[in-house]
Amino acid sequence: MMSDQQIIEGCAKHDRKAQQVLYDKYSRFLLGICLRYASDKAEAEDILQESFLKIFFNIKNFSGTGSFIGWLRKVAVNTSITHYHKNLKYRYHVDIEDYVSAETGVSSFEEDFFTSEELYRVLNELPTGYRMVFNLYAVEGYKHKEIAEILGIDTNTSKSQYSRAKAVIRDKLEVLGKLKSNYTENG
Amino acid sequence: MSIRELFRQKLGNVEIIPSASVHTKLMHKVAIREFLRFNAVRFNIYYLGGILAAGISAALILSAGSDSSQQTSNNLSGEKSKTDSIEYFNIPVELAVIQKPDTFKETANELNKINKIVKPSSDLKNEPVQRNVERENPIVAATQVNDSFSKKDLFPEASPDMSKLQQGFKGEEVLIEPSVSEGCSPLKVHFYIKSDSYDSCKWTFGDGGYSNEKNPEWIFDVDGDYKVVLHLFGSDGSQVNSSATITVHPKPMANFEIYPEKAILPEDEIHFYNYSTSAVNFNWDFGDGGSSVLFEPRHKYAKYGNYNIRLIVSSDYGCSDSIIVSNAFSGSEYFIDFPNAFIPNMQGPTGGYFSSKSDESAQVFHAVSSGVTNFHLKVFSKLGILIFESSDINLGWDGYFNGQLCEPGVYIWKVRGNFRNKEPFIKMGDVTLLRN
Repeated sequence: MMSDQQIIEGCAKHDRKAQQVLYDKYSRFLLGICLRYASDKAEAEDILQESFLKIFFNIKNFSGTGSFIGWLRKVAVNTSITHYHKNLKYRYHVDIEDYVSAETGVSSFEEDFFTSEELYRVLNELPTGYRMVFNLYAVEGYKHKEIAEILGIDTNTSKSQYSRAKAVIRDKLEVLGKLKSNYTENG
Repeated sequence: MSIRELFRQKLGNVEIIPSASVHTKLMHKVAIREFLRFNAVRFNIYYLGGILAAGISAALILSAGSDSSQQTSNNLSGEKSKTDSIEYFNIPVELAVIQKPDTFKETANELNKINKIVKPSSDLKNEPVQRNVERENPIVAATQVNDSFSKKDLFPEASPDMSKLQQGFKGEEVLIEPSVSEGCSPLKVHFYIKSDSYDSCKWTFGDGGYSNEKNPEWIFDVDGDYKVVLHLFGSDGSQVNSSATITVHPKPMANFEIYPEKAILPEDEIHFYNYSTSAVNFNWDFGDGGSSVLFEPRHKYAKYGNYNIRLIVSSDYGCSDSIIVSNAFSGSEYFIDFPNAFIPNMQGPTGGYFSSKSDESAQVFHAVSSGVTNFHLKVFSKLGILIFESSDINLGWDGYFNGQLCEPGVYIWKVRGNFRNKEPFIKMGDVTLLRN
């Protein structure tokens, strides 16, 4: 088994075996990230492929300070953002006013009630703009100011998009939760 | 737990297995990009070829119309660079696809730093032996392939060239007798010593391995030419050396994908995408009696069925591999299921039509399904009386019979129909009618 250090050195020399090992070791983890930013698995795999090209050809820029996996994660997130910008004009835009935020209702969810598959589906169905902001803010932990810079939007837009994304997600989870609890009660 | 925490915890570190095609496409892209990038190591191979071709074609243009013999030789050397430029400009798609395995092999070999000089061997080439087991016993198969060959060619008396090649540095007699001298990776070779006048011996196998056994057995995993050297030490301190060359050919790998993934038979024409490596001959068995030798064939099935598709590939050296995809079109993504209990609306019949929204409290007994085209549902009472019948997947039983709410208890249901891929289904079970 190659260590991360050996993988990095091998990939920097364009060693095909090191690239293979890197892919085998991290592709599943990175696809997990890409899928959060995509609307389906096919799109996520496109982003994954793009990410690996960047990783293979820029690995010599990895300074070695900080964690390697953190660097890989960052590449995947950045590729997802680039992908979003590239495909912006083809997207179907939902007017944000269509979603009236419903702040009332359940705001707390049991951790083990929903499977990660269901959460992915909720994310995938989200309008792309919402998905970007939600992912970057909630999961990646960026600040609204940073997100605004990354996506080229206003800080307030980022904030309102986030709260609306949250409202949509809450609605979806509630519907899903009701369906599921009915099923378990009667089944 | 808030939404933010929920997603962060559940999706922060999820692993999802990518489709196999992602890696293949990725490595293809990597190969192209690396080719386009200037690299001192590869300079000799690609760029020299390109420069040569450019020079030659320039010379050709200048001396156009000169004698024909010169032209043929120029064409020959220009060929290599021509294939490179196809890769570069990506013009004819089919050509580029055919080029793919070559480019891969070349780059891969180069990266592995294996300097392989392949000797064209007469007997072996003409007789590709197909190993149609699913990747098992590769060593045995490889050995069998080469047995006939070795017996004929390994005795140095028969061929003077060979004995010259095999003789050691001191010009001694040939003392090594391998069970095979050539074969597919991984190649298992038994070595024997054709001499009794020695005290001890030492073998080196050319791949870093060595042995002190009298008749060792060695497995060569990686393709290439290996120089096996034998040192014999006599009791009087004398030393005799002898060497032999073992050639290990790369083992091809059979692999393919079906498109569309969720095909509807017999309507869809099936495309077979070939991801095999190191192979030149392809033998497809579509499972319905049809076959093909094309690189990427297409096939139309006459009727729905669960076919086993087999691909056998072989290389120039007769090394082969096969893969079988069993039940390639089993419609596993289609299903039909029923709940085992429901509570009818007490206020009166609802008609039985439902949607996931309107039937949140499970007032209608109905199917949960995917890909159903034909459907017939019957519900019977315990006495065997037909109580409800529906041919509409969107119509379920509301728990009423002739306008009367049925008694709570167990009812029997039976359903039959077809999925979109023409696969039939028949199911039966029971459902309990509950009351609030």
